Amino acid sequence: MNIGAADLEALWLTLRLAAVTTLLLLVIGVPLAWKLSHWQSRWRHGVEVLITLPLVLPPTVLGFYLLLLFSPNHASGQWLAGVWGEPLVFSFTGLVIASVIYSLPFMVQPLLASFSQNGKRLTRAAAALGMPPHAALLKVLLPASRPAIVSACALTFAHTLGEFGVVLMIGGAIPGETQVVSIALYQHVEALEYGAAHRLALVLLVVTTALLLLARWLGRAVSEAQREERFMGVPG
Amino acid sequence: MELSLPLFRRAIQSLDCDGLSVQGLVTSLNADTPWELALPAQGIFGLTGPSGGGKSTLLAALAGLRGCAGKIGFGGVAWQSGRRGLATHRRDLSLAFQDSSLFGGQTVADNLALAHRYSRRPLAPEERAELIECFGITPLLRQPVELLSGGEAQRVAVLRQLFSNAAVQLYDEPLAAVDRLQVIRKLLPRLRAFWARHPALVIWTSHDFDEIQLLATQCLWMERGALNGPLPVRAVARRLQLDSLDRESCFSRIEARVLSQEEGLLTLSLGDATLYADRVAGRYKVGQSIAFLLGSGDIGLCLEQPGLSSILNCLAVELREIVPLAGGRVRLRLAVGEQEFSADISRLSRERLQLREGERYFAQFKASSLAGL
Repeated sequence: MNIGAADLEALWLTLRLAAVTTLLLLVIGVPLAWKLSHWQSRWRHGVEVLITLPLVLPPTVLGFYLLLLFSPNHASGQWLAGVWGEPLVFSFTGLVIASVIYSLPFMVQPLLASFSQNGKRLTRAAAALGMPPHAALLKVLLPASRPAIVSACALTFAHTLGEFGVVLMIGGAIPGETQVVSIALYQHVEALEYGAAHRLALVLLVVTTALLLLARWLGRAVSEAQREERFMGVPG
Repeated sequence: MELSLPLFRRAIQSLDCDGLSVQGLVTSLNADTPWELALPAQGIFGLTGPSGGGKSTLLAALAGLRGCAGKIGFGGVAWQSGRRGLATHRRDLSLAFQDSSLFGGQTVADNLALAHRYSRRPLAPEERAELIECFGITPLLRQPVELLSGGEAQRVAVLRQLFSNAAVQLYDEPLAAVDRLQVIRKLLPRLRAFWARHPALVIWTSHDFDEIQLLATQCLWMERGALNGPLPVRAVARRLQLDSLDRESCFSRIEARVLSQEEGLLTLSLGDATLYADRVAGRYKVGQSIAFLLGSGDIGLCLEQPGLSSILNCLAVELREIVPLAGGRVRLRLAVGEQEFSADISRLSRERLQLREGERYFAQFKASSLAGL
């Protein structure tokens, strides 16, 4: 298969963006979900809605507000550019920040569900064996939540791969800086280059499918078949 | 400002007390009947009573895992004072839950290692290996905990708590799913030996009174949110055996003194009589006082002293009471000196032997029927 240098660059950029976003979200998402699962305040619902918002909000709306926030024409954008050293709009850093917000629910929701289901029981059991709360999180709750963590990472990664609306709004299509695969694909179609569009689309399809399969395999919990094998001697 | 003297004295007393002291402890379950409890720093205490009586609630409140108000102190450390409580992991205690609550996504060995790592009194490697072997966990060490059966999970949970070796050990129906004979013949004697070596305050909750009378000499009783005791186990046993007349058989606790032990055969003295127990798991010292259980279905009765027989044990007993059971059987309450035990025989045997309350007979049972040694 023959993929152009520009498209390869777009692919590499997209993978980098997805990887950085997933990593950042893992670091943010675990403590956030842990805190939320414990938090008994009326503000909890508000915060949960806020986190879920990117799930239902049209990406262009999110992108529009971020564009305003990052814009050097506004005080906020000037301040951010001052802190970071360069304008965030139309930059890779800007894309990362946008992706983190955009994919936040895909990381936090599975973790929150898993923590809420097992968290209380397991942290109580850990505390009743003398384990302090941080040890209960790291050594008990995280290993028990492995399937949820793997699937949260896979969803976040895949979701960031397919990002389009937000990127269009705040990133534009600067090759090597902000031109991700979905944008490159769109541009090929616009230019009636169906061959190149086909190749990119196929790559994205294959990568995403492989990723989800890998996640299923990594995140597999102990299955019913294994139980059966152990107790009945029937190979699962 | 004037200091209220009685209150002050009470506070000092609770600090002086070495063991566990609970004063005016109130939860949502017992708003009208505050719990009062004073237990020594070492000893094994049973906790029993009807379901919904508040046993689990009491244990959770002691561990600081549910909202409560009042005073709890152990060894001079205030665990709870009013509504403010010390965090659970800072209390020198461990609690095993009814559902085992093993740590998922990890193996049995991982679970045990975590308990060992956070223990305040870690056990030596040889002792850990021996306990694992004795609890039958060795073949399970590499298994993910999700693959365990209910009984296996409970054995691992109890072992995990032994590895933690806390000063106060709370057990909430910890072996309910484990085979009853395995519990009585193997696990409980091993637990008793463990606590003899590592003294702790143990509260053992169970619906199975046999477990309690084998482990403990005193017992707490909870009913409809009210906490009573500690009471002598024998008093509670009487009452429970009358309650459980429909059950197939029951165990009675008997205490005796060790005369000698060789090659698994233990010789005991009970009053004037000598008893024999074979297939004995534990190691005992000569002169030591020990307790065992005798199943009511394992005892036969004779009118006269029997001659030589392969049934090694024969006790002169007084028949105190005859209670009819369902299914054509009767339960006899027999006494040797101060100690009492139950024997179930058929109604036909009773008529043939013409048994009468107040008369003296001979009770026979095999050396293999002494459980819990």
